Amino acid sequence: MAPIVSIVDVYKEYSLGKTLVPALRGVSLDVVAGEFISIAGPSGSGKTTLLNLIGCVDVATRGTVVVAGRNTAELSERELTSLRLNTIGFIFQSFNLVPVLSVFQNVEFPLLLQRKLSAPERRKRVMLLLEQVGIATHADHRPSELSGGQRQRVAVARALVGSPQLVLADEPTANLDSVTGEHIIDLMKELNERDGTTFIFSTHDARVMSHANAVIRLEDGQIVGREKPLGGAQAAGMH
Amino acid sequence: MLRLLLQVSLRNLFRSRINLLIGAIIFFYTLLLVVGGAMLDSLLGSMSRSIVGTVSGHIQLYSVTSRDPMSIWPTMGNEPDLSPMQDYQRVEGAISKLPNVKAVVPMGINGSLITSGNTVDLTLAELRGVVREEKENGKTAELEAERQSLKEHVRQIVRVLHTDLGRATEMETTEARDPEALAAVERASSDAFWQGFDEDPYGALEFLENKVAPQLPDGDLVPLRYVGTDLDGFAKSFDRMEIVDGQAVPPGRRGMLLSKFIYEQYLKLKTARRMDLIKEAVDTGALISTDPELQRYVHQNAQQTREILLQLDPLKSEQAVRALRASLGRSDGTLPELLSAFFAVTDDNFQARYAFFYKELAPLLQLYRLRVGDVLTITAFTRSGYTKSLNIPVWGTFRFKGLEKSPLAGNISLMDIMSFRELYGYLGADTSAEIQALKQEAGAQAVDRTHAEEELFGSGRKVVAEATPGLIDDKKAFPGTAANLRRKDLQQRVFDHAEISRGVVLNAAVILKDPSKLKQTLREVRELSDREHLGIYAVSWQDASGILGQLVMLARLVLYVAAFIIFVVAMVIINNAMMMATLRRTAEVGTMRAIGAQRPFVLTMVLSETLTLGVVFGAAGALLGAGIVGWVGAKGIRATADIMYFFFSGPRLYPHLSISNVIAAMGIVLVVSVVSTLYPAFLAARVPPVRAMQTDE
Ligand SMILES: Nc1ncnc2c1ncn2[C@@H]1O[C@H](COP(=O)(O)OP(=O)(O)OP(=O)(O)O)[C@@H](O)[C@H]1O
Ligand SMILES: [Mg+2]
Repeated sequence: MAPIVSIVDVYKEYSLGKTLVPALRGVSLDVVAGEFISIAGPSGSGKTTLLNLIGCVDVATRGTVVVAGRNTAELSERELTSLRLNTIGFIFQSFNLVPVLSVFQNVEFPLLLQRKLSAPERRKRVMLLLEQVGIATHADHRPSELSGGQRQRVAVARALVGSPQLVLADEPTANLDSVTGEHIIDLMKELNERDGTTFIFSTHDARVMSHANAVIRLEDGQIVGREKPLGGAQAAGMH
Repeated sequence: MLRLLLQVSLRNLFRSRINLLIGAIIFFYTLLLVVGGAMLDSLLGSMSRSIVGTVSGHIQLYSVTSRDPMSIWPTMGNEPDLSPMQDYQRVEGAISKLPNVKAVVPMGINGSLITSGNTVDLTLAELRGVVREEKENGKTAELEAERQSLKEHVRQIVRVLHTDLGRATEMETTEARDPEALAAVERASSDAFWQGFDEDPYGALEFLENKVAPQLPDGDLVPLRYVGTDLDGFAKSFDRMEIVDGQAVPPGRRGMLLSKFIYEQYLKLKTARRMDLIKEAVDTGALISTDPELQRYVHQNAQQTREILLQLDPLKSEQAVRALRASLGRSDGTLPELLSAFFAVTDDNFQARYAFFYKELAPLLQLYRLRVGDVLTITAFTRSGYTKSLNIPVWGTFRFKGLEKSPLAGNISLMDIMSFRELYGYLGADTSAEIQALKQEAGAQAVDRTHAEEELFGSGRKVVAEATPGLIDDKKAFPGTAANLRRKDLQQRVFDHAEISRGVVLNAAVILKDPSKLKQTLREVRELSDREHLGIYAVSWQDASGILGQLVMLARLVLYVAAFIIFVVAMVIINNAMMMATLRRTAEVGTMRAIGAQRPFVLTMVLSETLTLGVVFGAAGALLGAGIVGWVGAKGIRATADIMYFFFSGPRLYPHLSISNVIAAMGIVLVVSVVSTLYPAFLAARVPPVRAMQTDE
């Protein structure tokens, strides 16, 4: 099975004034469709950097990043955006909902950008997703009227509404208490199992990690291990 | 998608203080544009109505050979030096055929000083008339009584003069009086002179006219600007003109219509005029006790009773004394004392005295030095530089509706164009012949005071005589004009329209059917003149009205400049505010970009937000502005100074809102909001999607 994400010997350096800060140093990684992967590592190890490269919001200094069969280095800004829109869903640490839009409108947003569905179809799709994340009753609320956990459910629904092949989540539970955080991970796992959508998320939290069927360990910008967590499912081949 | 943008925009409206700030700027800017625009438009509209509707018309025509450009209100008071149009009849015929031309009114503007006949001259003339009539038609009891009364009146006048001279000798000022003149007054005051009057009335009258009357300060010299025109055509074309006293000059007849403003201001008995002014001020809330100008009027009225004293013959004096004593509750006092006491009004008694003045005293007096029906002698400078006098009957007074108090509109009187031509020194061939005939018939007799007047006129036109067809060198050919023309023949001759347009015309007003097409019609007129060699210049009313027209332009320019400055300021403020707003929203924008929004989407979103801001707050501002204009428009703005009547084209300016004001204001505001947001929107579109991940805020 062709990997949905294929990263080969990727380097990423940030320049801070005169000094170059190496964030990733020769990372290679394959992710197969349907996986539920966690990226773990200490602070500053490069988790976010890696996710940004996979999510096509940033480009590598060196090495190749292939997402859904497309080499991101060869794509224009426009094509990258289009790729994000149609194949990648994002879940953010701070939820990042548009405050002036209702829950429904926030979730509908990617569908409007995709311009694939008619208004009634969109409505059906949005309501389905809201039901799946258990927040349908709050469809007309503003994000500010919701709790953190509820907001992140909305964010999950928004990430999935456009039927992406891949969902990326950078520390989706960091702003939530541990119980709520686990609920969110359970929800993601449920959706992963139901539709086969690939999930890659980063976390510090060992309990959250344990839901993944593979954990990739980063340290100092390098992958130091790929393991199956306790009670986790089968692991994919390691590079 | 559009709906989403609109929703985002609308909901973002009140999200941040910055938006409120931008909204407030847009709100006030629109308000200002709407209110300012409506006010200025209304003001300009009314000003143009004043200018166009009084004399100028929409377009003025004049000869290309003129030395000065046409100016209806010349800056320094010097009438422009215009040459007559070469063939006015052809000009009128050609221009009238243009589709947008309603009427062409021939004109000529000139000014002169008129000596409002003083009481002595008038009384002596009346006395002479009675004496002559007795000679020619025999004595009657009626004429006898009239003669005695007039004699008494003249004696009264001489008495006043005598007292004046006595006072002057007491003060013994620098200039010594001519002893001969003093002797003449002494003689005219003596009983012997009056006893001998009936024996040689002509001799006595001659003595009074030549030796005594000149010592009385002459009646005022009143400046009179007049437009010589086709009076019928004028009345039809300038429909704001209305007759106040008397009647219009009958078609084809000679005559003048005096401006009511001039009539009241200069020809009314000064005391009465001041009473009117006080009355007007008091009625609008002023107090004599606090208003120094009113106090000055009261003081002048109490001091300067001479004008009244001269008018009253003994009989009337007696009546006045009786009435005044009753009114003032006094049992003694001479007429001058009583008058002084009477006119020393206060806030308490003013209204009662005003009423008493018009009820009891006015009937004894001639309120106006010139009455409708009188013949006015006008002395003007001809084009060749000589003075020329003409007697013209005054048929009535007129005013321009709404501009009654405006000195600018009120300083122009109207005259038939035939008389104008004569005064200006241009005559049609037949009139010239007519005058030649009259000249032979009547013995030429120079009028004594013409020389004095010539001195006064000295600073007037300095045009040298030119060989122009129809121009008379009146000094050689026509001495003693006034006496000649006293013959009524010329006055009563009826002329027709052909004669009006055949003769000399200096300028002409063109009235348009659709004033908004002024520019186009002006072009057509100019083309026509070139094609048909009409030899005329055509200028718009703005150009023809000199400084006033420029004022209109200036006001418009000021509004535009002000609007532009605010435009720039608003742009800078909105730009900065939008920059701040955008910087605050980079996480949100980054999220949208990460989720899959393209750059143009972000650009459109930010722009449509300010556009919405502009529409919403702009509409609110326009609405309030419309409300303000409507409110002010219903009440009207009062003209507080006389000059404002002309600008307001009436006693009040009623501003009104036109749709174009609102559209223009909204258009400008939307342009401001969009243009000032272009850069912030561009920046927003460049927010990198990674910003979504950076949750450091
Ligand atoms: N925009 C940036 N500019 C400069 N250096 C950066 C930037 N982003 C990340 N880095 C650096 O790159 C390295 C990796 O950072 P990254 O954010 O990927 O770590 P992380 O594993 O996500 O850490 P955390 O657990 O704290 O979120 C760090 O040393 C960080 O300082
Ligand atoms: Mg991180």
